[in-house]
Amino acid sequence: MEGKVRIGFYALTSCYGCQLQLAMMDELLQLLPHAEIVCWFMLERDSYEDEPVDIAFIEGSVSTEEEVELVKKIRENAKIVVAVGSCAIHGGVQSWEKDKSLEELWKTVYGDGKVKFEPKMAEPVENYIKVDYRIYGCPPEKKDFLYALGTFLVGSWPEDIDYPVCVECRLKGHPCVLIEKGEPCLGPITRAGCDARCPGFGVACIGCRGAIGYDVAWFDSLARTFKEKGISKEDILQRMKMFNAHNPKLEEMVEKIFQGVEE
Amino acid sequence: MKNLYLPITVDHIARVEGKGGVEIVVGDEGVKEVKLNIIEGPRFFEAITVGKKLDEALAVYPRICSFCSAAHKLTAVEAAEKAIGFTPREEIQALREVLYIGDMIESHALHLYLLVLPDYLGYSNPLKMVNEYKKEIGIALDLKNLGSWMMDELGARAIHQENVVLGGFGKLPDKATLETMKKRLQEALPKAEYTFELFSKLEQYEEVEGPIIHMAVKPRGDVYGIYGDYIKVSDGFEFPVEDYKKHIVEKVVEHSFAKHSFYKGEKPFMVGALPRLVNNAETLYGRAKELYESHRDLLRPTNPFANNLAQALELVYFTERAIDLIDEALAKWPIAPRDRVEVKDGFGVSATEAPRGIVTYALEVKDGRVAYADIITPTAYNFAMMEVHVRMMAEKHYNDDPERLKYLTEMVVRAYDPCISCSVHVARL
Repeated sequence: MEGKVRIGFYALTSCYGCQLQLAMMDELLQLLPHAEIVCWFMLERDSYEDEPVDIAFIEGSVSTEEEVELVKKIRENAKIVVAVGSCAIHGGVQSWEKDKSLEELWKTVYGDGKVKFEPKMAEPVENYIKVDYRIYGCPPEKKDFLYALGTFLVGSWPEDIDYPVCVECRLKGHPCVLIEKGEPCLGPITRAGCDARCPGFGVACIGCRGAIGYDVAWFDSLARTFKEKGISKEDILQRMKMFNAHNPKLEEMVEKIFQGVEE
Repeated sequence: MKNLYLPITVDHIARVEGKGGVEIVVGDEGVKEVKLNIIEGPRFFEAITVGKKLDEALAVYPRICSFCSAAHKLTAVEAAEKAIGFTPREEIQALREVLYIGDMIESHALHLYLLVLPDYLGYSNPLKMVNEYKKEIGIALDLKNLGSWMMDELGARAIHQENVVLGGFGKLPDKATLETMKKRLQEALPKAEYTFELFSKLEQYEEVEGPIIHMAVKPRGDVYGIYGDYIKVSDGFEFPVEDYKKHIVEKVVEHSFAKHSFYKGEKPFMVGALPRLVNNAETLYGRAKELYESHRDLLRPTNPFANNLAQALELVYFTERAIDLIDEALAKWPIAPRDRVEVKDGFGVSATEAPRGIVTYALEVKDGRVAYADIITPTAYNFAMMEVHVRMMAEKHYNDDPERLKYLTEMVVRAYDPCISCSVHVARL
């Protein structure tokens, strides 16, 4: 890209962790001479949500009617739209109970209380606008940001990762939390890129980077292992919904996991 | 003809976590209305975790707020462990507190240098300070990096720490790493002290002077810290954390997705670093105690801006405290990371001191699942008080240039270090 790159970082409804992750990167200082921050409320008081930008980073899920309008406006103003993190890409953990009605959730939490804004069930950004690129994770790894920013700045295009956490876990030589400890690790079907961070600490993967494309053998081998460990289909479905509730093929995918396997 | 007034609004307060705005309506008789509009969408954390497996719910709770994800994780885990009748070993508790302190150091450094300081130095954005304030930005990054690294080592990650599990940790760092951590904390002490000196010179606006009810957790073992079993109020009242609902009520307000909290029915109150100091200063020790004694005139219980300086003091205190806790753990080396826990049915409440004040978790566990969850976050506790102080500032300055009024009221909000996302959770009535 020629001259200074105009960057906007926009927040929808989230924990702000993706922005925090980027804000905490010392490497950001090296980027500054090449970039102009047009909008980034977390750090910049002079932020403008409706100015043209080269790259728009959006984090958070679409959770109010106001945010629907905001993402449309961002799309109009941006050359490249990047959805950052689990909320923007998958709807986030706030989508875990997606199948319950908004009214029911509202009543549980707010009772009869009324608020003057219009809430809605959390949704991925892609439900409303075209997204050009995704930076996965909850939150994304720092190297994900560096890789994406670096490739954009040299005028290239970052590539998606198409292999699971298990690959990285095996390369690191960590003991397998699924096979050796019997825990419901989602490593075999979760998009890699975290260097198998959680299994490296002996903790089962919760799938925060989202599920990898489906029609691959990993799902079948995971099915056999889950079955052997006595983990039920319902429990797997619930676990996968934490970060994949809006995945249209979720049910089918979990069915596939248990296909031909008698519970 | 009557004068016409437009509301003075900041749609989106910058340099805080989350989306909120300020709205001030001025009439002929002065300020009519002051509202903190919380426009961040609702996230229903309590409702969505009910019926879910306990360990999965515990993975989701930190995601209420990235700035205090360790605080959420550790408080939720303590409530869950109380519910199932498990008490972690002392050395595990010490290391969990070191992790919590990592969050405290990172969050305070970030808030003070990147979110607050630019206002005082006349910058809209901390990154623009890099050339003229090299030393300050350098210290900010060093302290922030130290806190993040402590969370990486003990929590698996600086944001959303998956390494804390029921019964302890998934894995512990080795002895050499803990010794390095201690060394880095020792090296950070002069930087923390520099921060305190720097913030002791900044203005605390007297427009917002007035009595404040302060609330903080009474530290366990009478040593200034994060965990405790009682809540202490500055009016002298104390109550067990389990009784929080008897003394604090939450109300839905029309202009906010976050609720407001009141003590004894209608009294706004403050939580955070300043309330911790006001209520628990006698439990400080070391260099922080000396600084507290020599700067008492600045650490005023009556001014929310003193919260910034109180955070700076805590940077000094918690850096020293973490060194002592690491020594405590090293004395018991080697440490098993995790005890076997049996997930029994039960109910547990935990209140701890997150960087920006009390966070409360009440969890009921049944058949290995969450049967009830109630969470109140520091910012939700603070909102009502914050509105009072924004009003005080507005009443003194409503005739000023609107830009000046916006700037001053935003500074009041920032002094509270609000996490707006975390306040939009919300609780079952």
